[in-house]
Amino acid sequence: MYDVIIIGAGPAGLSAGIYTSRRSMKTLIISKGFSEQVVSAPKVYNYPGHVEIKGFELIQKMEEQARNSGAEIILEEVEEIGKKGKNFIVKSFQNEYECKTIILAFGKTPRNLDVLGEKELTGKGVFYCVTCDGPLFKDKIVAVIGGGNSALAATSYMSEIAKKVYLIHRRDEFRGFESVVEEIKKCKNVEFILNTVVVEFKGDKFLKSLTLENVNNKEKKELQVDGCFIEIGSEVKTDFIRGLVKRDKNNYIIINNKCETSHPGIFAAGDVTNTPFKQIVVAAGEGAKAGLNAYNYLHGIESTIIVDWKKGK
Amino acid sequence: MTIKVYSTQACPYCHMVKDFLRKNDVEFEDIDVSTNHEAAHEMIEKSGQMGVPVTDINGKIIIGYDIQALKEALKIK
Repeated sequence: MYDVIIIGAGPAGLSAGIYTSRRSMKTLIISKGFSEQVVSAPKVYNYPGHVEIKGFELIQKMEEQARNSGAEIILEEVEEIGKKGKNFIVKSFQNEYECKTIILAFGKTPRNLDVLGEKELTGKGVFYCVTCDGPLFKDKIVAVIGGGNSALAATSYMSEIAKKVYLIHRRDEFRGFESVVEEIKKCKNVEFILNTVVVEFKGDKFLKSLTLENVNNKEKKELQVDGCFIEIGSEVKTDFIRGLVKRDKNNYIIINNKCETSHPGIFAAGDVTNTPFKQIVVAAGEGAKAGLNAYNYLHGIESTIIVDWKKGK
Repeated sequence: MTIKVYSTQACPYCHMVKDFLRKNDVEFEDIDVSTNHEAAHEMIEKSGQMGVPVTDINGKIIIGYDIQALKEALKIK
């Protein structure tokens, strides 16, 4: 039995874990992975205490600090949260855990296209991290899907590695910076395929081709590629807790200024909540608040506006 | 024990795997699959997929930054 289970291992979840562990709460952090958004940031310049730090290094430090404080960290994906009397049951695809309080801090998830073959071919030609997996496609033919700045950056990056890069976008203009679009247009090995969506990924062991559909005339065609990078942003995936806590119209979890959700004993922090400003420092601060308030809830203490650092904790 | 880490230079998860091994005083061979094509094929064959990092611990293949799997394979507590 855990005093608190924190779902998510980004700045919010790890910070919450540091605070709950240091208050002697038996703490479990469950997460599919470590904050993709922070890990993939080449440099972070606005986290106080670090003039400049690589995203993955910042997460490593937070992870180490959470573990050193006493938090247990398990890499599993949570699929369901249920209730058992006053307690909660957190179910992952592998295990079940019981706890007295919950902190939801799982941020945003990279968006999938949700089309045929995508899941089966992920890692086998379909990728979501161009800086990780792009270098494997030297002199190969690849496609990048998306229309924002991350898709444009991925295209520019791959144009220096691959033989040919197709940039596939469902509209006829880009949401990303115009200057970057102009720069990419100059690359001889980049071809734009606009007003087009991918409806299927084909291949057996590995990706072989994409089935494209023109959004205007619905015409379909096959495009042979060796690899494909999906860069279509991120989304909040909170459907699995829809019956448990209130969400706003964009699926963000609604919290008050004490990080309480609509359900007693369940707290939330960071990018998954309706708090404005999706910043690392904001998420870490909110995580601390959620952790401290989970402690207060567990001990029946009313959270008040007094200094709470006097005891040296 | 032979340990190989198949990685690329800019991949943060690869750095995290290698940092974890170094921190636990585990010696390993660091293979950059973006420059070593033979090794890239080897990695794809062993792991059945193309994503990095891939860690080979005495034939046990671990895909991604999976601390639990690494700890189990290395018998680290």
